[in-house]
Amino acid sequence: MRASPSAPAPVELSVRLYTWLLAAYPGRFRAEYGPHMTQVFRDVCRRDYGRGGLTGMAILWAHTSLDLVQTTVEEHIEKGIDMSREMFVRWSGWALMAGAVLFAAGLILGSFDSYDMDPIGGVDAIYEISQAVGLALGQVLFVIGLLGLRAGYTGRSGSLGAALLLLAIIGGVVSLGGMLAMNSIDFGWQVWMGGFVAMNLALAVFGVVAIRRRVFSRWNFAPILAGIGIPLLVGIGIAGVDSVSGQAPEWSTLVAVVLTSAGLLLIGYRMQADAGTLQAAT
Amino acid sequence: MAKAATPESFLPLTPAVFHILLALADGEKHGYAIMQDIEGATDGRVQMGPGTLYGSIKRMLAAGLIEESDDRPDPTLDDERRRYYRQSGLGRKVLRRETERMAELMALARRKHVWAVAGSRSTLPVASLRSG
Repeated sequence: MRASPSAPAPVELSVRLYTWLLAAYPGRFRAEYGPHMTQVFRDVCRRDYGRGGLTGMAILWAHTSLDLVQTTVEEHIEKGIDMSREMFVRWSGWALMAGAVLFAAGLILGSFDSYDMDPIGGVDAIYEISQAVGLALGQVLFVIGLLGLRAGYTGRSGSLGAALLLLAIIGGVVSLGGMLAMNSIDFGWQVWMGGFVAMNLALAVFGVVAIRRRVFSRWNFAPILAGIGIPLLVGIGIAGVDSVSGQAPEWSTLVAVVLTSAGLLLIGYRMQADAGTLQAAT
Repeated sequence: MAKAATPESFLPLTPAVFHILLALADGEKHGYAIMQDIEGATDGRVQMGPGTLYGSIKRMLAAGLIEESDDRPDPTLDDERRRYYRQSGLGRKVLRRETERMAELMALARRKHVWAVAGSRSTLPVASLRSG
C-alpha cells in the first residue's frame, strides 16, 4: 500500500517510520495485519495533520508509541513466547540503546528547528516531528530499559540500588505522563521535566552503588555518565550561567545529551551482554 | 477470549471489543471507519491505536464474534485493498447480552441513587483505548 504522492512530508515521514516500527510485532501478525495497520495509521496521520498540524502529529505519535509498545508485548505474549528474565533483560538492553539513539537524534535534529509553527511543513516539520518521535518513543524505551535493569540487577545492587532503580522507573513513568498530558494540563511541561530529572538523578546515584558493588561486569561508571548530564544542565539553567538569556548555553545542552545517550548506550550494551550470566549471579 | 460458544461466556467484554462490536452494529466497516465511528460516538474520549484495533480484530475473528466481508459498498468509491468486517450471529448475541448486563447495572445504580437519569453523563466503558 503506497502512500499517495500528495501526502504532506510529515505524514510521509511518519508512515515510513511506523512501517519500520511494525517490525517489532511477531512476523505472522505483521504479515496478516501490518499493511492494514499502516493504512489506518496513514488515514489518522492525514486527519490529525489536517486538524492540528505538527502539534496534532506530535500528540498522535505520543499515543501511537504507547499503543505500539503495549500491543507488541501483548502479541508476543500471545504468540506463546516465554520471555524469561534473561530474554527480558537482553531485550530491555536493546530498548535502552534504541531509546538513547532516538533521544539524542530527536533532540539534536530538533535543535535545528526555527520554532516557526507553520503547519504547511517543509524542513522545520521534519525537525519537529523527529524531536517529538525521539522524545516520546525514547521515553517509552527508557522505561522498558529501566524495568529490565531492575529485573536483572536487583540482587547485585542491594536494597538501596533496587530502591534507586524503582525511583528512576517512577520518574520515567511520571515524565512520560507529563509528556502525554502537556497539551491537556498547564503544568504538563513541569511534570515531564521533573520526572525526567528525577529519573536521571536516581540513575546517577545508582551509578555510585554500581561502582561500589561492581554491579556490572564492566563500565560501572555508565549510570553516572547517563544520569548526571540532564540534572547538571537544569542546574546550569536555574543558576542562569548565560546571563543574557537566563538559560543554559547551547553547547551545554549538546554535552548533556551526548553524556546521557552515551551512558545509556553503555548500560544497554552491558545488559544484553551480561544477560546470560545474571541467573547465577543474582 | 473463551472458546465456549455461549454469549455469556464472553462477558464482560473488554472496552475495545465492546466498542468494535457496537461500531459494527449498523453495518460492515473497514478498520479506519471503525476507529472513526468509535471516536465520533464517544466525543473523542475513546481513541484506539492501530495495534489495539487490529489485535482486537484478530481475537474477535478467532472467537467468531466478527467475520470478514467480501462485499464492497461501492468498489469505485473505496480502496479495494481495505478489509471489511461485520458482526457474526454470535457477535450480535454477545453485544445484546453485554448491553443487557450494563442496563441491569445501571438500574441497580439508579436504585441506590448513585446515578441520576436526567442530565447525567453516561459512564459506560469510555476509558481511553489509545494504548489498549
